[in-house]
Amino acid sequence: MASLTDHLTDLVDDADAVLLFDPTASFHDRFDGEDTAVIVVSDENDIDAETFVELPLPFDNVRDRIRFGIEGSLDRDLVSEGDEVVCLVSVFGDDPALDAVVRVSVDESIHTGIYDLFVNSRADPSVIRDVFEVAIELGKKGQKGKPVGALFVVGDAGKVMNKSRPLSYNPFEKSHVHVGDPIVNVMLKEFSRLDGAFIISDSGKIASAYRYLEPAAEGVDIPKGLGARHMAGGAITRDTNATAIVLSESDGLVRAFKRGALVLEIDPEEY
Amino acid sequence: MPSTSTFYAGVLPQPGETVTQTSSEFLNAVPDRIWLALFVLVVGIVLAYVVGVVNRRLLTRAGVPETIEGTAFERTAREFDTSTVAIVAKLSSYFIVAVAVIVALTVADVEYVQLFWADIATFVPKVFVALIVLIVGVVVGDKAELLVAERLRSVKLPETGVLPTVVKYSVVYVAALVALGQVGVDTLALIVLLGAYAVAIVVLTALATKDLLAAAAAGVFLLLRQPYGIGDEVKVADQRGIVQEVDLFTTHIETDGEEHVLPNHTVFRDGIVLIRE
Repeated sequence: MASLTDHLTDLVDDADAVLLFDPTASFHDRFDGEDTAVIVVSDENDIDAETFVELPLPFDNVRDRIRFGIEGSLDRDLVSEGDEVVCLVSVFGDDPALDAVVRVSVDESIHTGIYDLFVNSRADPSVIRDVFEVAIELGKKGQKGKPVGALFVVGDAGKVMNKSRPLSYNPFEKSHVHVGDPIVNVMLKEFSRLDGAFIISDSGKIASAYRYLEPAAEGVDIPKGLGARHMAGGAITRDTNATAIVLSESDGLVRAFKRGALVLEIDPEEY
Repeated sequence: MPSTSTFYAGVLPQPGETVTQTSSEFLNAVPDRIWLALFVLVVGIVLAYVVGVVNRRLLTRAGVPETIEGTAFERTAREFDTSTVAIVAKLSSYFIVAVAVIVALTVADVEYVQLFWADIATFVPKVFVALIVLIVGVVVGDKAELLVAERLRSVKLPETGVLPTVVKYSVVYVAALVALGQVGVDTLALIVLLGAYAVAIVVLTALATKDLLAAAAAGVFLLLRQPYGIGDEVKVADQRGIVQEVDLFTTHIETDGEEHVLPNHTVFRDGIVLIRE
């Protein structure tokens, strides 16, 4: 067993910070005398930890959870680039005990913008997640097997509505549907063959489909080679406080734009 | 002595005959109604067992164990190596046995206990119902407490801790009242207390949620008729801006980075100005 203990010692050796994901109060107390910085990452600070990063969604994927925790710590200057952090995390959900030790070096690659996207957006984090899920599912399966593109503008719906015009009758007129509802997700997929953008309010209400966005496109910083859909999505986020989530028809990637810039790019196949 | 032997053969019954004869004598000696009573008793016990088993299966199938998981009653039951479902099933078995015993005694016509049993016969079902009501009341109370506590968990205020307990004891109180009423205890004073309590709750809730109810009523109209929607420019109560959100209770109007959250009844009371350019 010596080698196993050695390996564990190596793993936690001279770590700059320890991230505890959803620890119990008693578990957290055991770290009281430690020299290394202890950062608690959880959905709410119910154990009164000193350094705390809020997790707006319970990420099932452990990599996402860790990435989110580290980005949150980076955002609050709790850790800095080049640090080595050790994450204690529960992989097999039900048990509150933290059953895994993961060592991560904080560098460029960890910074995907996912923390910023969820926490600093105008819309509710859960709405952003739901829209992401629809976009990812659409990217995986396409519409009846064919790849489709889609553009979702989330948050600041009032302003977005004023900076766009209808291409045709709004199918969501006088309806009260919210993203995240399973049936609504099916509806969104069906309507994705329509041209134009979906506009979703801060609380997740689908305000409209079939919208032609009319933002001023100057000063938009998006990579060359992306099409009109990305340009429109990127530009509307510069004019308003909305977040645009775009599924590309040509390469099948899901991209998120904020303040006129690309903040996140993920491949649905890997998700 | 052939004659003697014949005599004996004539008088003494054959061994097989002896048994039949004594048993038939015995059978004749015992009155029919005793047999009937015994029969009733046996049927009662078998029935009790079957009902107990069926009851347990039905309750388990209906998902009762999962529903009441974690309630205080269930936990106490678990400590005694049993469960609520087992207790209820056993109770129903005992009840049937008790009824069978009473029926058997009545059929057997045991006179000196007649008077005593006549009272018991009417009392047993009541006690049974009272017990069931009490168990259901306590379990439902526990469950209600858990549910309310869960809903309030996001509200991190120590004051809300009293609410789940109040809910629990209200349910238990009503159950106890029903149970006491069943066994014939005078519960008038307790009912008056319950009435006062209910009135107090209704009045307080009405007072506390007056504005919320008004806002919700106006909100229903706004959601159904949609006089304005997301993206419209409106003026409500001297607030001019773009509608960002309309939900059941509030309307969000944004002007120059300021988002005004207006309760829907003010929208209704003050009227809406739709601005079209």
